[in-house]
Amino acid sequence: MNPRHLFIIVSLLAAMAATPASARIKLTALPDRAAAIIRLDNPTFTLVEEERVLTLQQGVNQVDFSWKGVSINDDSIRLTPLNEKDQLVLLNVSYPPNEAALVWQVSAPQACNARVRISYLLMNIDRLVTYKGVAAQDESKLNLQSHLVLRNFSGEDFALSKILLNYGEAFEKAVRDGETKQLLFFQKNGLPIQKTFKWDARSKPWDPELVQDNVGIPLYYTLHNSKEKGLGENALWGGKVRVFQQDGHGSTIFLGEDAIGLVPVGDKMELYMGDSRDIVVKQKKTMDRMVNVRRNTDQNVVLYDNEEQIETTIENFKDKPGTIVLTQSIPGEWEMLKCSGAYDLKDHETLEFSIDLKPKDRVTVVMHYTRKNLRP
Amino acid sequence: MRRILWFLLAAPFLLAFPACGGIDLVTLPERDSVQLTIYNSADLTLAREVRKLTLQKGLNKLSFGWANTLIDPTSLSLRAVEHPDQVELLDVSYPPGVNSEAVWTVRSEIEGEVLVEILFFTSGINWRAFYQATLAPDEKDMLLEGFVRVTNGSGEDYDNAQTRLIVGRIHLLDQIAELAQRSEPFGRPGMAVPVPPAPAVFAERRMAKAQMMDMACEMVAGAAVAPKEIIKEGLSEYFLYTIEGTESIPNGWSKRLPSFKPVRVPVVNLYKYDDRRFGDGVVRRLLYFKNDKDHHLGKTPLPDGQVEVFRALDAEQHLSFEGSQYVKYIPVEQEAEVDLGSTEQVKVEPKLMKMATDRYTFNADKNVTGWDEREDWAIEVKNFRDLPVRVEITRHMKHPHADPVKPAGDCGQFEKKDAQTLRFTLDLQPHETKTFKYTITYHEGKRRDQR
Repeated sequence: MNPRHLFIIVSLLAAMAATPASARIKLTALPDRAAAIIRLDNPTFTLVEEERVLTLQQGVNQVDFSWKGVSINDDSIRLTPLNEKDQLVLLNVSYPPNEAALVWQVSAPQACNARVRISYLLMNIDRLVTYKGVAAQDESKLNLQSHLVLRNFSGEDFALSKILLNYGEAFEKAVRDGETKQLLFFQKNGLPIQKTFKWDARSKPWDPELVQDNVGIPLYYTLHNSKEKGLGENALWGGKVRVFQQDGHGSTIFLGEDAIGLVPVGDKMELYMGDSRDIVVKQKKTMDRMVNVRRNTDQNVVLYDNEEQIETTIENFKDKPGTIVLTQSIPGEWEMLKCSGAYDLKDHETLEFSIDLKPKDRVTVVMHYTRKNLRP
Repeated sequence: MRRILWFLLAAPFLLAFPACGGIDLVTLPERDSVQLTIYNSADLTLAREVRKLTLQKGLNKLSFGWANTLIDPTSLSLRAVEHPDQVELLDVSYPPGVNSEAVWTVRSEIEGEVLVEILFFTSGINWRAFYQATLAPDEKDMLLEGFVRVTNGSGEDYDNAQTRLIVGRIHLLDQIAELAQRSEPFGRPGMAVPVPPAPAVFAERRMAKAQMMDMACEMVAGAAVAPKEIIKEGLSEYFLYTIEGTESIPNGWSKRLPSFKPVRVPVVNLYKYDDRRFGDGVVRRLLYFKNDKDHHLGKTPLPDGQVEVFRALDAEQHLSFEGSQYVKYIPVEQEAEVDLGSTEQVKVEPKLMKMATDRYTFNADKNVTGWDEREDWAIEVKNFRDLPVRVEITRHMKHPHADPVKPAGDCGQFEKKDAQTLRFTLDLQPHETKTFKYTITYHEGKRRDQR
């Protein structure tokens, strides 16, 4: 680490005891720094570990650690002896008034060169993860690259330092204050992907003709972070994913981008890429009537069932097949009388139909059901 | 290109932090080719350049500068087209205190010329589709011409670029123009990314008109005699239009290109009445055609765009303007609707002729608990035009608890569209008036469950 903004001074305790803190005399030579490690495994905080050799005198030494122009969480600063562990005793840590500094009191039974690790949380340095995927022309496979973006606005220049993540190999990079550096983190080719369209009756218009613009049908790519599917070695960090597609002419087009959260091993990554306008979904209610009406002695309706029929038509105007997932909602207590397709019950009121569409296909799904025991 | 600068720096720079002031310029590589893929649903263009770099064995630093352009620095990528196994990109650095510059560190196992591909997003280039339709005097068909118009406001002149247009709706998290204006490409840790105001430099740097005209003349001189073809193909949920050959589009200029050859398309003139959709008493005139082979279309979807509809008046090709509308994207084999606006030439007048209630039910306290409500409607449809017309009338019921509707009179084709929507479609001769009737019997209160 470039010693521009961080200072370590080792002095004898006698000097500190006789001098007010604001005018403390700082003695002895600056210890040289060994390699610094920047740990980026926490998405919010960056831990810096640096090793130094302190020349300690016999007795009580004060090690003065101060900083200027950088932001350090001073509660996070730790001093760990790496040799002479049994000999060195950390007596206390004090924070001088009005200074970005702390002082360790270290007792040494005899003069020695103590190798220590100083670690602290440094602000304004972090990492982002970005992904770039290139899908095959048939959209069955994806080549996935992940890049690490190191952003150093900490106020400190880092000479060649080891950069550690919670997985993968460590990098050795220099990064200056104000510099952003992007490097390839991993690359996996030929990952299987699933392409799915989704239509949700709760949020999409039922009659697209009445809408000014085209009603897009959201398109998703799904990847599985599992060994069987070519990944599964580590959780995938959250970040922006940009997906391209090979165009069959030696070039690519950009398909879209999405942001993902952390994808643990065994979980799936779902990427919303954009909307298709070549699939059109229309839905209408073809039956809506009260049945099984029950009344009180005043002949007022107190309980009834409602018989409803929903007809959903999916038209695939493309000359390629596809899979669409329709989400339907039937609130409350209900009974399906007849349904033209199989569905998964996601919860008590949410039904999902997975429908395979052939090229230029038109599929109609009819749900005939009764909502039961309704009250006016 | 005027603004994008390339430098190949000497290898020794890797050993220390590169000094901002001292660039050891070795080569300024020429661009071999450029390809622009322009999106219309977002301010986004994917630019792909191929350049020949002279690399040294070992480590090379490549500097790429894009001051005063609208390039998204987070999208920059570089790969060796030739010898990809021997040329490795180690990292990309965005040096401190230097805006609009990236430095790639490349390890090369070969010495000499290497073809590399640089890919980036830029904003400021867009395209849109538009159409001109000319109805025949009898309005049975129209001559449809499609165009695309490409506009370059990126701050860059793109010469001899292979130009591709993307039809489709893309999902973006950030606006490329905003990414292009960030002072730090990926922002700063722990704070919102400030977006400085758009640089005024583009206006200042506009080329002198004479210079632009020169470029335009060059464009014309270099152009082929026949209009360029646009090759269309489907990719994922997009359609890719590739313009034949290359295009030069100077900054600030637009270019109009024919999207397809003019075709004569049979159309249906439909006059629609739907008080819930268009308002009470309003008749809208709509043109219908299908994007299919029967209508001499159907090869590719038609991108959304403005349709200007004219009508040929006579043999001398005088025209009248009938209306215009921004039409939605039209997939292959889907019907297209062009709304020409409201018209007074066709009138639809629904009248409630009679309202009666009946079949009351009472509870033990003699209070009313249910009844039937009968409405007799008469619909008068008038065609004031000199041409035959087709009229579609949509009527909405109060609720679905009613007896089946049985129209009387010349109501044309009748269908119950859903549980509470009725639709009548009639053909009328010039200056013809038609009247038809229907009755709805609604069941109210307890009568709803006593049918």
